[in-house]
Amino acid sequence: MLKILVCVKQVPDVNLVKIDPVTGSLIRDGVPAIMNPLDGNALEAAVQLKETYGGEITAVTMGPDAAMSVLRECVSVGASKAILLSDYAFKDADTLSTSYTIEKGASMFGKYDIILCGKETLDGATGQMGSQLAERFNTSFVSSAALIEKVDEKAGTVTVLRETEYGEETVEAKLPVLMTIEKTNYQPRIPNFKGKKFARTFEITKLTSDTIEGLDKNKIGAPGSGTIVPRTYPPEKTASGVMIDEGDDKKNVAKVMEILADKGLV
Amino acid sequence: MKKQDYKNMWVYIEHDGKTVSTVSLELCCEARKLCDVTGDKLVAVMVEGLPEAEVKKIRECAVDGLMVVSGTGYETYNNDAYTNLFTVLCQKYNPSAVFVGGTTNGRDFAPRFAARLNTGCTSDAIQVVYNPESGDIEFIEPAVGGKMMAVITVPVLRPQVGTIRPGTFKYEPTGEKANVEIIHETVNFDPAQSRTKLLKFVPEADDGSVNLAEEDVIVCIGNGVTGAEKLPKYQELAELLGGKVGGTRPMFDRGILPFKQMIGQSGVVVKPKLIISFGVSGAINHTAGIKDAGLFIAVNSDPEAAIFGVADYGIVGDMDEVCDLMIEALKAKQ
Repeated sequence: MLKILVCVKQVPDVNLVKIDPVTGSLIRDGVPAIMNPLDGNALEAAVQLKETYGGEITAVTMGPDAAMSVLRECVSVGASKAILLSDYAFKDADTLSTSYTIEKGASMFGKYDIILCGKETLDGATGQMGSQLAERFNTSFVSSAALIEKVDEKAGTVTVLRETEYGEETVEAKLPVLMTIEKTNYQPRIPNFKGKKFARTFEITKLTSDTIEGLDKNKIGAPGSGTIVPRTYPPEKTASGVMIDEGDDKKNVAKVMEILADKGLV
Repeated sequence: MKKQDYKNMWVYIEHDGKTVSTVSLELCCEARKLCDVTGDKLVAVMVEGLPEAEVKKIRECAVDGLMVVSGTGYETYNNDAYTNLFTVLCQKYNPSAVFVGGTTNGRDFAPRFAARLNTGCTSDAIQVVYNPESGDIEFIEPAVGGKMMAVITVPVLRPQVGTIRPGTFKYEPTGEKANVEIIHETVNFDPAQSRTKLLKFVPEADDGSVNLAEEDVIVCIGNGVTGAEKLPKYQELAELLGGKVGGTRPMFDRGILPFKQMIGQSGVVVKPKLIISFGVSGAINHTAGIKDAGLFIAVNSDPEAAIFGVADYGIVGDMDEVCDLMIEALKAKQ
């Protein structure tokens, strides 16, 4: 029976985040927190693996209590265990300390054959978590997995299709494996009513820096991070665009044609 | 060991045994500028097997040193082998920084060896600046979907690892140095320890019909597109203008356009005379790939879209309607 771990993150819907033009800081008020979209694809891949090969899915996240909602989403489509790693001491963790913390927390509940996560997050977008989680869990690593073609439990391998800038690769990886999942073939399913209802009251396992076994507190949160963000600022506008507003689309297009003709482009 | 004791900056040279990847050369040119400020030596690190004419290109980026690695396990790209290689080399030589091209493979192993060395890793910087006060490189990168810029540093640990996307920096070689130190290293990686194996590789089917990097006119579609059934109309417009269709990352993710038609940091960097974008929000990961475009016209239904801050001309409107009207106007001219 496959033991599958799916790592998810709650993120602000950055498409709705505004920036304070004076301070350059984020205005998060009223911005909904959602499951990181690509983690939804990883979750879907986990559910499909379970359907095809049998197994159990554990979901893990690190974040505030509110992040339980993304774990409930995982439960609603088939996760049978959900772990929230939540502590003020985890604050300001970069990928180095987050990957450490997640491995320590999730490994308290056994070993996993297949670990899945999205290939990057909406907010941080470093795309580093998969690679570093593979290091922490000491697994093989396949990034940008487009399609998991076959899991051979007997041989202890998984066959995966990757689509890269060089071409299409078929890769065989040994179990345990960590894969980051592409969007194309794993559109997240909508949970049914029964699943949603079940998830609403599901008991989530919450762990803190004190209850994660064997946790080195120098390796978590800001102290355990390799990187810091000393400052942020609003991006410079590279051009001051001229808005064409002649009254309606037709007139606007006519104006564009004029501009193109002027520049000798039509 | 104190961070000041880590010396020299490295650039990983990615190659396929025939040609050196352009991003590696771009990184050499940019790291050269940093080294000129810090006094570090610039060392290009590569696995052996690159023809001499290609190695010359690296030398011409004014590298101080060339580390050529031989050994087993590097015939095809492998996460375990490359993670091990850079861990071993960094532990032996203690470089201050390691730059890796932000290709699929570069992004695959760089964070992992950084974690194994217990150091900081950054990705997708669009600018790198040395701060003499802290002694750290400031990796400046777009954050929160490009709505703000974040300065990232590795304040204590070394090396400072950074993956940087192709096309971010310019390939402007300043000429070969008189004395280039050649360092030979042998690091064997036992294939039996490799946990992944490439079974099959089908190179990107390239019939030569679309090479956006060379196109003079591009019609670019973004996530505003409702579905693949709308693609023909944008193709028709592109054809009428004598160009080709490209798109943003979501167009690839949604299966509407192939990888090679994806414009931006993780796709093709383009420099057309004219680009008209439809339904593109303007995330910096995408706009970084069109910064050298000539005339840039953007169409988006959201008057607040970031793309209007980047384009020369903007139209607020329904993308499909505006496209139809443009087709009509161009046909009328014929």
